[in-house]
Amino acid sequence: MNESTHSASQSAKLITLSENIGKIIRGKPQEIKYVITALLAKGHILLEDNPGAGKTVLAKTLAQSISEGVADYHPSTGGGVAFKRIQFTPDLLPMDLIGSYIFDEEKKDFVFKKGPLFTHVLLADEINRASPKVQSALLECMAENQISAGDTTFQLDRFFFTIATQNPIEMEGTYPLPTAQLDRFYMKITFGYVTEEVELDIYNNYLTIGDVKATIHQVLTYNDIIALQQEAENVYVHPELVKSIVKLVQATRHHPEIALGCSTRGGITFIKCLKAWALVNQRDYVIEDDIRALAQPVLHHRLIFRNREASKVALLQIVDQEVNRLAKLGISTNK
Amino acid sequence: MQDRIVQLLIRWLFVVVPTVVIGYVTLVYVNFSYTALNSSVLSQALFFSTGLLIAYSLYFFRIRWIITFLLLWFAYWLIGKIIVKLPGEFDVFYATARFQLYSALFIFGWIFGFLLVRVRYSYIILFGLLAVATMVAISNTIDISISYILFHLVPVIVYGLYMLFVSPVLVYDVEMDIKKSGRLLLRFSLFLLLVILAFLFVGKIFTEDLKAVEKELVARGAKSDKEGDKEKKDGGYDQRNGLMEKPNKDDGYKLKDTMKISSKMSQSDQLMFCSRIDNYFPDGTPQPLYFVYHYLTKYDQAQESFIRDANAPFLDEFDADPSEVGIFHSRQDSSIIKNSLGRKKRMIVESEVYLSSNTWKHALLAPASAFYVQSIPVEKDFQKTFLSAYKVKSYTSELNNAYYVYNPSANPALEDIQAERFNELRTVNNYDNVDSKLYKYYTDMPTGVIYDSISKLAKKISAGIVRPVDKVIAVQNFFLERDKKGKRIFRYTLKPGSPSDPNIPNTSMLSDFLFKTHAGYCTYYAGASLFLLRSMGIPARFTTGFATINRSDKNKGWYWFYASQAHAWTQVYFPGYGWMDFDMTIGNEDQQNAPRPDGTPPLPPPDPWLVLNAKAESAPDLNLKRLEVSFDNIIYFDRKYVLNKPVTRIIDVSMCRVLYDKKDTTLSALTEGDSVIVVSYKDEAKTIPKPRKGVSIESQVDAFPKPIVADEIHIKPKPKSEKKDPVKNDQQKAKEKEMTWKEILVLATEIILSAVVLIFLLPLLFLIYLVTRAAMARNPALKADGIYQSALYQFHMAGVERSTETPLDYARTKVDPVFHSNFQEFMTVYLRLKYGRGTLRDGDEEIINNFAKVAGSSVRKTKGFFRLALNYFNIVLASRYFLQSDKNEYEN
Repeated sequence: MNESTHSASQSAKLITLSENIGKIIRGKPQEIKYVITALLAKGHILLEDNPGAGKTVLAKTLAQSISEGVADYHPSTGGGVAFKRIQFTPDLLPMDLIGSYIFDEEKKDFVFKKGPLFTHVLLADEINRASPKVQSALLECMAENQISAGDTTFQLDRFFFTIATQNPIEMEGTYPLPTAQLDRFYMKITFGYVTEEVELDIYNNYLTIGDVKATIHQVLTYNDIIALQQEAENVYVHPELVKSIVKLVQATRHHPEIALGCSTRGGITFIKCLKAWALVNQRDYVIEDDIRALAQPVLHHRLIFRNREASKVALLQIVDQEVNRLAKLGISTNK
Repeated sequence: MQDRIVQLLIRWLFVVVPTVVIGYVTLVYVNFSYTALNSSVLSQALFFSTGLLIAYSLYFFRIRWIITFLLLWFAYWLIGKIIVKLPGEFDVFYATARFQLYSALFIFGWIFGFLLVRVRYSYIILFGLLAVATMVAISNTIDISISYILFHLVPVIVYGLYMLFVSPVLVYDVEMDIKKSGRLLLRFSLFLLLVILAFLFVGKIFTEDLKAVEKELVARGAKSDKEGDKEKKDGGYDQRNGLMEKPNKDDGYKLKDTMKISSKMSQSDQLMFCSRIDNYFPDGTPQPLYFVYHYLTKYDQAQESFIRDANAPFLDEFDADPSEVGIFHSRQDSSIIKNSLGRKKRMIVESEVYLSSNTWKHALLAPASAFYVQSIPVEKDFQKTFLSAYKVKSYTSELNNAYYVYNPSANPALEDIQAERFNELRTVNNYDNVDSKLYKYYTDMPTGVIYDSISKLAKKISAGIVRPVDKVIAVQNFFLERDKKGKRIFRYTLKPGSPSDPNIPNTSMLSDFLFKTHAGYCTYYAGASLFLLRSMGIPARFTTGFATINRSDKNKGWYWFYASQAHAWTQVYFPGYGWMDFDMTIGNEDQQNAPRPDGTPPLPPPDPWLVLNAKAESAPDLNLKRLEVSFDNIIYFDRKYVLNKPVTRIIDVSMCRVLYDKKDTTLSALTEGDSVIVVSYKDEAKTIPKPRKGVSIESQVDAFPKPIVADEIHIKPKPKSEKKDPVKNDQQKAKEKEMTWKEILVLATEIILSAVVLIFLLPLLFLIYLVTRAAMARNPALKADGIYQSALYQFHMAGVERSTETPLDYARTKVDPVFHSNFQEFMTVYLRLKYGRGTLRDGDEEIINNFAKVAGSSVRKTKGFFRLALNYFNIVLASRYFLQSDKNEYEN
């Protein structure tokens, strides 16, 4: 009883959050949900699209909704959520991210000047424009939740969320992320253009929409997010669905059109995301629809397809088959 | 795994079942050809199909062939070992023989199953094997006809075509998506259509074939020699007598029911029957009578044939089947007495008839108008010659006699009697007082040029003659006329030459005979004289039967009848005297010159004192030679009695003859519940209670000796008897062989039709299953599940199909907008029950029940009942539900 009321209030907060973001990012409720899912799954998300689709605005809006605009990093603070943004450029160096040792005149010693990575929400803009060296520096802390500088290792806060954006790799002046590194992102979503009506709406209300700070106010606190993340972990996944995910992962490995299938880590990530997604959709259990919804953003960037055609249909086919199998399954009374 | 099972089931239906059916059919054929197999076809087929099914299922799941087959051999060896250790030498032999057969069939089935799963184009191999087996079966039968071959090969060919059509899709394609299943169903339906058409076509051909054979029987002579050769292929029919035919291959010959005037007749000299006619002149000279089979009172002008007419007025034909009369039992028809119109000089003639095995046993052959028939036994020594016998009593006139009508030749005593007879008949001057119906019917003349010319001829013949009998004699004399050179104008011949084409008007064999060729056999003479008499106003009818010839004086009263004595003649009606035989056929010199010897007449049947119409209460005790029977119907000293209640008695069968369908058999053929007739003859050695007057039959029965010593037990043949009697067995086999094609045709059509009906009913049946399952569910979760499954199916069958979307999306985007149902709401509850922690919340059950109530009706309302019902017969739509996106199966 206690749990259900608790979750009810938390879910309400999630709705407010997505509504809040929806005020700025028009016509993209699904994408907003994905971002929140990645956040709740304690993961990171990569937004990929052409410039100007609203990636950065989304990231900023999210940060705005959960932070109090605290610029500094306070690992111990309960309320504030720090937000930093890094614009990646080809000449960016790793130390620009993680920080560097600077000689302190007074102490006569080198002190570490923390870089922008020391934050809760990080917007890594146009990540593929930076050199691989910089990219890997970012990815390390995304994976390990820690930063190594010189002989010291700094632990990041347990809430560390990266929203990376990238331009499609065909664009000039980019360093495409290798698949192994893409794997670190829980999700990769493409944004796509909005519909005609939505676009008209955006143009009409440009001024009000554009002013993020005026429109957006904080709806979640640091503690809320930690609690929600905890709750997401408690979402129930039916054994049959776990089995189904195993089948799905296995199928990607055996599919003739897929050169590199999904790793076990990919599968674990998938389950984590499914739980978070269920929570975002106000449920404390996962259903087959979740698999359908998340397969593409969670799994697609982990696979290497043999050809362009396959990259469009192969995963869908596998998911369709699994979903169909589940749809025909009866209720099993022994849980 | 589940998909695999579904696919396996589909393959069972489409591949295994047809193979089992064809296997069964082939087994049936082979069993007919090889009596050595001689065990139940059904169990053979069972073993074959079990092997096939197991192997098919096993290898479908990719189980290793070598290991399983070795295991199979091991099992075979093991069971073989065990069987040898069975007690009893005799049992072992049979058990091992049967075991070998069954295991061979099982292994055959096994290999078939393997081939079907694993080997591409294996059905070609199977087809070849089956075809060879069928061919071998065919080649073993004696009577081969084209239709026989056709009907044996048709199932195999149909199977081959079927596999060619249908199986490749099923057997070799791993993927079975919607498109393919649709195509498959289309193929299958097309194939079924083809098969049905083929069966109809073949059936049509065959019925024509049958009709042709039938026609051939009737108009045998009309065939040229060339066609005669073809007939020989049919087998069995080429020895037919022109006037006779075989009702079916196993029976004897009988006279044809219709007589056609045809151009050729063949005769054979098989012994048909012998008879003792208890009819003598006062001086003791035997007085033979013609044996009547049928009165053919009607005339078919187009076919120029005489046919029977059950509606003829005053028909005195006794329509009894002597083979159906129980031994010593009798049957009589009192209407014969009424209809045999002669009152003056009437007498009753008794005769015994012994039918040879060549004769059709169902026909009643009797002198003149029989009215009483009693079945009598044939002495054992004569059973080789005579199969059955009966005693008949007939009415006839004292004036009737075979001598008068045929050939009174050179016996002055007989000629005197004949003159006397004619004198007696001359008292009949006219037909004024004759029943008008009778007179009209029996003097009926067809109209037409031919019959007009016959009338003219009749006038010429009867010119100046007043009395009917004189007119009859004039007709007889007309046929005996000689030309100026003293040569007979009319000849007797079995081959009157090529007939006029009956299709050309105004030509007929009858007029050819009378006016041109003057040559013919009995049918010609009888037919011609019939019309000559009728046009003179004398009632006459066409009669078929046997001419009685008295060849020797050795056995007085005994006459022997050969096939060549089959005959046709005319009967003339004389008021007051009834029907008289008049044979106008002029003598056939050849036949007279070669009289066949008469045989030894059979001994008279012994006289029974007791005949019991009984039922065997138990199987006979073979050691004590006792049999317990119960009876309530007896013949005691030639009188029939019906007892008040059944009496059970022990019968002493130690000296008994046992007969089954008039053939000798053994006591072991008798089983409990059989109907038997127990006969005990009068015998010096036996104490026989004499009937006492004024004593009830029950108390007389009490006085019967205990046990009753039986001399004969006749087991009544059962309509569909089991294989009990070895003699009967072969006959049955032969009969079955004849029936096969018919049965298979009917069976195959039935199977195909019911398969089609079943296939079309399947969608509806499945709905009923789902709805029932939902209604029967025990707990809410299961109930929700049942409702979910049936709702999915119902919405699908209403034409709203789920493609790749999840059920929830399907509910939201496809179902609810169309049907205005609350499927989505239900789905949220259902999904929570299915994937959640399984806790039921308040209101859940209400939602489930609400949806259950509304779902069906909303579909009906939106779709309309009629269209919905139509959808349920759309098997392609239904099949899509089952095969829904079962594509992309990459794991093997």
